[in-house]
Amino acid sequence: MTAFRVTERSIATNVLVGLQGNLSRLGDIQQRLSSGKQISKPSDSPTGTVASMQYRGDLAAARQYSRNSDDGLGWLGTADTALSSMMSQVERVRELTLQGISNGAGGSSDARLAIATEVNQVHDATIGLANTRYGDRPIFGGTTTGSAAYDASGNYLGDNGVVQRTVGDNVKVQVANPGPAVFGAGAGQLFKIMSDIATDLQTNPSNLSSDLNRLDTATTTLKAVQSGVGARYNQVTQMQQFANDKVDNLTSQLSDVEDIDLPKTISDMQLQQVAYQAALSAGAKVVQPSLVDFLR
Amino acid sequence: MSTFSGLSGALSALYAQQRGMDVTGQNIANANTDGYSRQRVDLKSVGGSPVPAMNSLPDGSVGGVTVTGVARVQDAFLEARGRIEHAQNSYLTDQNQVYTEVQQAFNEPSDTGVQSQLSDLWSAWHDLTNNPGDASVRTQVLARATTLTDTLHNTHASLASLFSTTREQFSAYATDVNTTAGQIAKLNQSIVQANNAELPFNDLADQRDKLVMHLSEVAGATAATQTDGSVSVYLGGSSLVNGASSRPIAAGGAGRLDDVPVTPVTLTWADNGVAVTPQSGQMASMLQTMNTVLPHYAGQLDGVAADLANAVNAQHMAGYDKLGNAGGTFFTSSDGNPVNASNIVVAIADPDLVAAATTTNGPGNGTLDGGNADLISGIATSATGPDQSYRQLIADLGVAGQTADRQAGIQSALTNSVDSAREAQSGVNLDEEMTNLITYQRAYQAAARVMTTIDNALDTLINHTGS
Repeated sequence: MTAFRVTERSIATNVLVGLQGNLSRLGDIQQRLSSGKQISKPSDSPTGTVASMQYRGDLAAARQYSRNSDDGLGWLGTADTALSSMMSQVERVRELTLQGISNGAGGSSDARLAIATEVNQVHDATIGLANTRYGDRPIFGGTTTGSAAYDASGNYLGDNGVVQRTVGDNVKVQVANPGPAVFGAGAGQLFKIMSDIATDLQTNPSNLSSDLNRLDTATTTLKAVQSGVGARYNQVTQMQQFANDKVDNLTSQLSDVEDIDLPKTISDMQLQQVAYQAALSAGAKVVQPSLVDFLR
Repeated sequence: MSTFSGLSGALSALYAQQRGMDVTGQNIANANTDGYSRQRVDLKSVGGSPVPAMNSLPDGSVGGVTVTGVARVQDAFLEARGRIEHAQNSYLTDQNQVYTEVQQAFNEPSDTGVQSQLSDLWSAWHDLTNNPGDASVRTQVLARATTLTDTLHNTHASLASLFSTTREQFSAYATDVNTTAGQIAKLNQSIVQANNAELPFNDLADQRDKLVMHLSEVAGATAATQTDGSVSVYLGGSSLVNGASSRPIAAGGAGRLDDVPVTPVTLTWADNGVAVTPQSGQMASMLQTMNTVLPHYAGQLDGVAADLANAVNAQHMAGYDKLGNAGGTFFTSSDGNPVNASNIVVAIADPDLVAAATTTNGPGNGTLDGGNADLISGIATSATGPDQSYRQLIADLGVAGQTADRQAGIQSALTNSVDSAREAQSGVNLDEEMTNLITYQRAYQAAARVMTTIDNALDTLINHTGS
């Protein structure tokens, strides 16, 4: 008879290995429970780790896009307000010019002087609006480092730099237009037209009609810019909403990858505890008795 | 046939059973001694001379019993297999440990690792795009870049310190191997002498086997028993212990992680300088760790640092700083060598020199354009950028770590089962010993009974006949 020989030590070794296996599984589960994380090191799940790192990077980017959108909305909102005010001022100039025309060359020069004075005031006010700042930067000044886009006499001080905000992956939105693109340049420049109108009112009323045409052209540009600003405001709002939704999605995906399923983990732990206790009590029973117990 | 030969036969039985009980006692005493192999009394009946001769006519049944020896019960094949599995087990367990520590050095996934600091850096560049003129935003870019370089330094330093610890341990193990080999050689000598004198050497052999097992675990040594009772130990195919002599080994090579590419860590025979290449055991794992694993991950980390420096520098130099001058290098190396994880530093101290703009109005006349900062922040999603290479590194590490973990688990189960088999073969079973004890006791009682019976018979013959 050749049976596999069994000794106390071999039983003890086996029982010990089993118990240690049980205990280490229990320890794993408890570690997961206490940290709340499925993945504590890359080898726990290499794919999960890479996914989690990717999600974290995307999450940071999405949050940043949302912040960029906030900033962009600030710029666009400020521009919109400034342009709206500007439009009503320009309308006023148009009315005044029409008055000047109807007064005509034969009209009272005093009346035209009064109109010219008001046009001059509006001219100054529109320059003030053109120097509207967001933070410490003139929004119509391009990328100038100076504090104003136009000087008091309407000369452009800024540059033609474009201010953009990245509000999504590869989505860049222009949030400010340089002054010349908004108010025109050279003879067609809004402030130049206004001061011409003021001058012509006093000295050469017959030019007012052509001034009015120039003003209308400038107004058309202004309107186009304003509607562009509005459209981009919408776009940025949508992109921000998209970025915020993405933050929520990514957060939940990250949690799916990284975090434990609490009920499942707790029930796993209960099962493991039961298994461990059973192994302990069985081990105690198996290891104890020997022939010595039964000999007289 | 002698009158008293029955008595001497009974006496030999008393001696033999006594010896049996002694050995049983020894077994029971060592039931829990590590490395103890159970012993067995070999008995042999003593007959007369097997070859009949003049005046020597054996009746074949009178000599009693003799103890021919006390044998150590051990399965040489199981023991050899045990050594192999133990060596492999300590190799894989150590590799698993190393991968765990390397993963701890990288500390991913977390909110504090290199990945999240890269994200922070790109966010800072985004903020700079929004506010190119703001000094605090410019400072933040520099601060976050510095934090990132510090983390790269720290990660590299963790790997380097893991290397140093392993290197010290490696030297200590080399000394341990030499000491153990010396002890085995001494035991070999004693055993050969005992064997020649036909003295028992079971306990010496147990001690020696334990030492050989230790060498297997440490250096993956293999062993072969020789006819004179000595054991020869081999390391990487060459003889480490032969009879009463042993050959020392020596650890050499790089003392720092950065030196490994030039002078790898070596294990050599002290006498001729030829390399020893253990295939398993702790030291093989350490060699693998120091010459392959750690340099590999340190190299990959260096690659991440170089990718970071190259990508950011190239874009940074294409832009213009706040003063309108062309941008310089953003990251540089602190020691003149190519940029790596241990020497990468931020080259700029003055926040105004951060090149955020794509446009300039000429030197000394900068713009508040943030286009270049935006382009730099776009490196985050570049397919050749540092984020990508870093994630690749972590994926690589994770897979290797998982493999090491699984292999160690499988090997550990295998080793346990072989140990259990060895223990079953050469371990002490108390039930068996108790049974043997009773058997010997009863035989002893019976032999005593035989003696009494013969004594009674002689008494009858001597005292009660003829009177």
